[in-house]
Amino acid sequence: MRRLFVGLTAVSVLTAATACGSSGSGGSDDAGSSGGTTTVEVGIIPIVDVAPLYLGQKKGFFEERGLKLSFSSAQGGAAIVPGVVSGQFEFGFSNMTSLMIAQSSDVPVKAVANGIASTGEVGEDFEALTVKGDSPVKSAKDLEGKKVAINTLKNINETAVRASVRKAGGDPDEVELVELAFDQMPAALDAGRIDAAMVVEPALATIKNQGGREIASPMVDIAPGLTVAMYFTSTRYAQENPEVVKKFQEATAESLAYADAHPDEVREIVTTYTKIPADVLAKVTLPKWPAEPNRAAIEELARLGEADGLFKRTPDLDKLLP
Amino acid sequence: MRGANAALGAAGLAAFLALGEAVPRLGLVEREYFPPTSRIAGALGTEVADGAFWTALGDTLTGWALGLALAVGAGIVVGVLLCVVPYLRAATASTIEFLRPIPSVALIPLAVLLYGTELKSVLLLVVYASFWQVLIQVLYGVQDVDPVAEETARSYGLGTWARVRHVLWPTALPYVMTGVRLAAAVALILAITAELVIGAPGLGARIAVAQTSQAVPEMYALIVVAGLLGLLINVGARSVERRALAWHQSVRGEVTV
Repeated sequence: MRRLFVGLTAVSVLTAATACGSSGSGGSDDAGSSGGTTTVEVGIIPIVDVAPLYLGQKKGFFEERGLKLSFSSAQGGAAIVPGVVSGQFEFGFSNMTSLMIAQSSDVPVKAVANGIASTGEVGEDFEALTVKGDSPVKSAKDLEGKKVAINTLKNINETAVRASVRKAGGDPDEVELVELAFDQMPAALDAGRIDAAMVVEPALATIKNQGGREIASPMVDIAPGLTVAMYFTSTRYAQENPEVVKKFQEATAESLAYADAHPDEVREIVTTYTKIPADVLAKVTLPKWPAEPNRAAIEELARLGEADGLFKRTPDLDKLLP
Repeated sequence: MRGANAALGAAGLAAFLALGEAVPRLGLVEREYFPPTSRIAGALGTEVADGAFWTALGDTLTGWALGLALAVGAGIVVGVLLCVVPYLRAATASTIEFLRPIPSVALIPLAVLLYGTELKSVLLLVVYASFWQVLIQVLYGVQDVDPVAEETARSYGLGTWARVRHVLWPTALPYVMTGVRLAAAVALILAITAELVIGAPGLGARIAVAQTSQAVPEMYALIVVAGLLGLLINVGARSVERRALAWHQSVRGEVTV
């Protein structure tokens, strides 16, 4: 009963969550051991971000530690956070703001391994604030009074866009933020229904293909080398299965390092679980996959999020981070 | 008569497809985001050649069929039970009217919480949505029983079961079949929606992957498959209905399809 209650809280708090939306296919298996191998269910979003896990699984980084990953593709954090908290998945992938919102609302989540980080380079990040090629908007400051699409209101992308506007000398409160799925942003921008879009890959590549311009790299404006998302588990699972969590951490760290060093293999593996067309995939900017989260950057994200009123109370990073 | 109707139907579909080809080619909408029919057909060809597509189709049909069977079974049993026991009917009337309008998709967080992204989550939504279609029709059908026939059966000493079998059921069956036909369509919509939103394996999940991947023609190809599936299911449900009600005047007196 308590699990159900906690889960429902998670649902109500996080009906809108992770940085990157949308879903896909996936099998599912309850966690179980056979022949010394533990199968863990990982709730993911089928996007470029999670490529290291697929790659690590293929390379045997998990197998050599007695782990087997079973992927459950889900629709953003709306499904992943409650799925992990209620024990449907052992691990999940979620953006940092969602995890901090959960933590500050007493949803028992524990980040265990790094997910993705921004490249930290302005104009060369995997997520960008974009406008149409012929738009009069030159910088984020010009967005005052304009309509800007983000995938989820009151989440990491809102913090990011506001950070860029503020940094450019504008008033973020003057910007009209509207909610739109990433995959619909290129068409909406092209048709002029929105003035700017905060997009991730591969929608970013599509927008660039159609002549769109980047006016800011909001993730970089929050903090250089920002940890955008992490893999997490429930505090209960972490307490009861410290061995599995430790193995998952090690194997993930190895997978992240491998992915960072082998971008070609990353692009290759992405074609196995997404339908990104080859010409788009070739132009996609990959995120960075450092093995460790960037605590200083996460603190800055928390500070900005708190200033924007996203949290019930200050998230306790000591409890949340590994 | 039926041949002429089928020809008209085919002509209508052909006109629609031609419109789908012309609109993007004339530049009325952006081709990138609404590809012409021929490109969608090409993407459909690629999909059909992919084994994973058939697995997804199988997953969707499994969710649909199981969900529909559960909903129809439960709807009929509960409906007849409520009508046979008048107190139950009175006690549940307002509860049914309260639960019925709740959109099934609003229960997605609950489904995920209970069953994750498994088939069971899909079933929860499918059964919830289609159960009411059947139940309400059963209730109406049972209400339609001729009181004189019912009293006659009673005075001839027929027991409860015999009255259900010979008086109630033949009257209710046309309503039930309507309920099943409606439920079949609703079940398909909900199965695909659940996969699309939750990520449970199936056609819906494949559509979602195509969406996030910016694979627009593939996305429309899969949507077309969903439409075709709906068409087939409707045709199938109508033919089942005609067979089951071959004795009924609504079918016997029917002139057109």
